[in-house]
Amino acid sequence: MNKSEFLAQLHDHLSVLPPEERQELMEDYEAHFTFALQNGKTEEEIAMELGNPAELAKEAIDGRFSAKEPVYWFNPNAVPEPTGPPIASAARPGRSGFASAMVYTGLFFLNMVAVPLLISLWMLGVSLATAAAGMLLSPVSLGLEYLVGNSVLPAKNYAVLVLMGLGILLALASKPVFKWLIRISKSYWTWNVQTAHGGNKA
Amino acid sequence: MSLDISVQFKKGALELCVLVLIHEHDRYGYELAQSVSQHIEVAEGALYPLLRRLVGEGYCTTYLQESSEGPPRKYYKLTPEGESYMRKLVVEWKQFVKSVSNLIERGSRL
Repeated sequence: MNKSEFLAQLHDHLSVLPPEERQELMEDYEAHFTFALQNGKTEEEIAMELGNPAELAKEAIDGRFSAKEPVYWFNPNAVPEPTGPPIASAARPGRSGFASAMVYTGLFFLNMVAVPLLISLWMLGVSLATAAAGMLLSPVSLGLEYLVGNSVLPAKNYAVLVLMGLGILLALASKPVFKWLIRISKSYWTWNVQTAHGGNKA
Repeated sequence: MSLDISVQFKKGALELCVLVLIHEHDRYGYELAQSVSQHIEVAEGALYPLLRRLVGEGYCTTYLQESSEGPPRKYYKLTPEGESYMRKLVVEWKQFVKSVSNLIERGSRL
């Protein structure tokens, strides 16, 4: 879009304003073009940086009718919140006894399934780590086998090398797995606590 | 709609930035557009409706100054009301940022 296209579109969209107001705004934008052109910008660049004429016009018209409307974060009646634990300050009305009972019952049934599921996930993580440890320790067991006096079998040496490699990789993989397990367990616990406490102060 | 929120956000911040910039020293429209876009990415054209509103609310006044090159420049100057409004907004902005930061921090601890 070049200068004259931009200004023409803006002019059209501003048609609801009183003529003198529209003229003043148009002059502002024309001056902007003049200054920016002096600074070596092209008309297209300037128009792009200015934005969409329809939206700008809307802004000019809206701003005019809601001039006294405060900025969104500005609330003259806002009392600065105490910096204590923020949840506590959001005191909502508590739940009724029946609702709490239902929430606890629901959580109980949910946990009957979810907790064993979590435990089995942990078991998977533990077995992963154990497998890694076993693989890493395989040279030791091979050494023990030779100590006991079994004959040296080259294939076993190679197998140990492979196991060591796998063990290192598995050990590396188990770190994020445990991190993830801790995270989901923690967030599940937090969610439980939050749900149980519900509207009451946490 | 996240884009919309971001737009609203910048619009709100724009008013504060403009007030602070004019408070530093009187500025003309194009100068303001350049200074603002150094700091936040915003449609520069939104500046002019905003400036008109600030003038309409009595927070700013304007005066024309001839310049050796180009057309005369319309300078914006903060009125005493504008200055106290700016100070109020700055305090509220800081409070707002602090509250949001607290909230985000709390969220990341979950």
